[in-house]
Amino acid sequence: MQHPMLALLASLLLFTTTGLQSAELTAKQIVHQSMEQWRGVSSESTMSMIIHRPDWQRTMTMRAWTQGDKLSLVRVTAPKKDVGNATLIKDNSMWSFAPKINRVIKIPSSMMSQGWMGSDFSNKDIGKSTDIVDQYQHRLIETLREGEHQVYVIESIPLEDAAVVWGKEVLQVRDDFVVKRHEFWDQDGELIKVMVASEIRPMGGRAVASRLRMAKVATPDQWTEMVTHQVAFDVALSPQIFTLSNLRNPRR
Amino acid sequence: MNVSSLTIAFTLAWRNLWRNYRRTLIMLLAIGLGVWAMVFMTAMMRGMVDGMLKDGIRALPGHVQIHHPNYLDDPSVANSIAEPQGTLLDALNHPQVDAWAMRVKVPAVISSERETRGVMLLGVDAAAELNLSFDISHITQGQFLPSLTEEELAVDVQAQKAAKGIVIGVKLAQKLETRLGKRIVVMTQDIDNTIVDRGFRIVGLYQSDIPGFEEMYVYSDRRLIQSMVGLKGQVSEIAINGDGYRDNQALLSHIANASPADMKVESWRQVDAYLSAMLEMMDGFVLVWIVVIFLALSFGLMNTLIMAVFERVREIGLMQALGMRSSGVMRMILIESLLLLLLGLAAGNICSLLSIAAIQDGIDVTAVAEGMAMFGAKAVLYPVLQYSDMLLANVVVIVLGLLTSLYPAWRAAHYDPIVALNKH
Repeated sequence: MQHPMLALLASLLLFTTTGLQSAELTAKQIVHQSMEQWRGVSSESTMSMIIHRPDWQRTMTMRAWTQGDKLSLVRVTAPKKDVGNATLIKDNSMWSFAPKINRVIKIPSSMMSQGWMGSDFSNKDIGKSTDIVDQYQHRLIETLREGEHQVYVIESIPLEDAAVVWGKEVLQVRDDFVVKRHEFWDQDGELIKVMVASEIRPMGGRAVASRLRMAKVATPDQWTEMVTHQVAFDVALSPQIFTLSNLRNPRR
Repeated sequence: MNVSSLTIAFTLAWRNLWRNYRRTLIMLLAIGLGVWAMVFMTAMMRGMVDGMLKDGIRALPGHVQIHHPNYLDDPSVANSIAEPQGTLLDALNHPQVDAWAMRVKVPAVISSERETRGVMLLGVDAAAELNLSFDISHITQGQFLPSLTEEELAVDVQAQKAAKGIVIGVKLAQKLETRLGKRIVVMTQDIDNTIVDRGFRIVGLYQSDIPGFEEMYVYSDRRLIQSMVGLKGQVSEIAINGDGYRDNQALLSHIANASPADMKVESWRQVDAYLSAMLEMMDGFVLVWIVVIFLALSFGLMNTLIMAVFERVREIGLMQALGMRSSGVMRMILIESLLLLLLGLAAGNICSLLSIAAIQDGIDVTAVAEGMAMFGAKAVLYPVLQYSDMLLANVVVIVLGLLTSLYPAWRAAHYDPIVALNKH
């Protein structure tokens, strides 16, 4: 189901034919489809990351390549002092390269919960986001109407042994499978952090959340925004891209 | 020197002692108090350290430990050993072994919604661990991992759930801002150095008297951790308890003879250098403590004897004029000092034995428990009297006491009889 329209049709069909009793299956499919939509079979994109704090703000521009849900590479292209900083994710492992010290560092488990490049996204958010499909129990709690779109509100509760600290996550997925809002709740039912898509644009042939903001509820004046400038989906990528040697010495 | 002259010297010394009985009693009181302080306080300190050691050794190391030769230098999953089999297993089940437990012990990261901390993840067999190290009364909330066999576990759904849970310290739970019954995520590295993580539900909270312990160690099921880090049939360490922690040489060689060449058997002294250093420091400290008290005591002793000599200058002159040798005078003063010391020692020893017996059940120091906990001592102190310490105190007092009285005795022995007799 690579074509978004096809996927949409398929899931709509599921909706109408199976009705409410298989809502769980559908909810899982929606989440799965939204992850597919977000990553594609492969993608190549240019984006900026804005890290905002009460007394400062900085912007980094970077290029990212992804292949399936196991491989991705992100390389910083601006500002000058950060050029070359790169992160490679392969299966569940993560490496980072810092040209200033000319070293590839494997991110140890102790650092997975720390912010990625100083942002509000944790290394884990970056590395493992597709786990949400299998490690959770998904339930469609309501369907909203927003202009010409339908928005599915899905509550995802992690399985007992899932490596997830959250009590539940609530996703709002538009009917074109763009995640509009992703809430992280703790186990006491308190909202901890929220990721919001504040801008959705068609890019590379599909709808893309081109501006994503992550912020903790307790500190709304500290946030990180990911702005996608350009993205191409289903491009042919050489496997050479996702290697440690390419992480260190970029060929392109 | 014949027996009668010794008897005379002894009689003279004894009577001299009670001529000024008030001064003698005060001196006796001082010596008695000093000896009491030496013995009693040493016993209290011994008790404190003993409690710390017992707790500390019980807590994890065991009296003897088996692990991979490189484990102490690099406690990673790569340095693990096979589960005991054959001769080693027989040796472990030998009556010389009190209890034993095998564990998987890996550094891990534990995170809740709000906090992340580094811990040591222990994969244990609940039954063995309860037998060897874990005190079930330390569980403050919930329960420890269920100690059931696999068959029992298969039918008990409730226990199955608990067996997949984790037991963490009360302080760690506070730091993580989490509670009993909530889920936390444990992340570690498996044998191929890839990151593995898993969610656990907190089934029990425990507290420990050892500082930092409950923030450091989390307990989970051994098989679960083995499959998590990819260590099939392998463990990080085997801890073994014998009769007592002080003398574990026999146990050590018993286990060492039975274990394969690729395993290293070590005493808790090597495994926990801190505890063993503490024991050594304590031995040195006792000596210093006794000598310091004696130094304070010796000034009083010397002063008393010098006073006694000054008072009796004429008398000593007369005895010398009548033909007593200076060595006899010296002997007399030394015997006087020895009697004083012996009486004081007897009083001090009796007092300390009585006071130790009085608090044999321990004294409650809950009022300062927080401070005591900082260095690992308990809220209830038990005195532990080591007879070697008592002997040391007595020997130190007699030997140094006689040395101290040499000066007054020497002075008394070297008076010129003529000058002494004319002294007013």
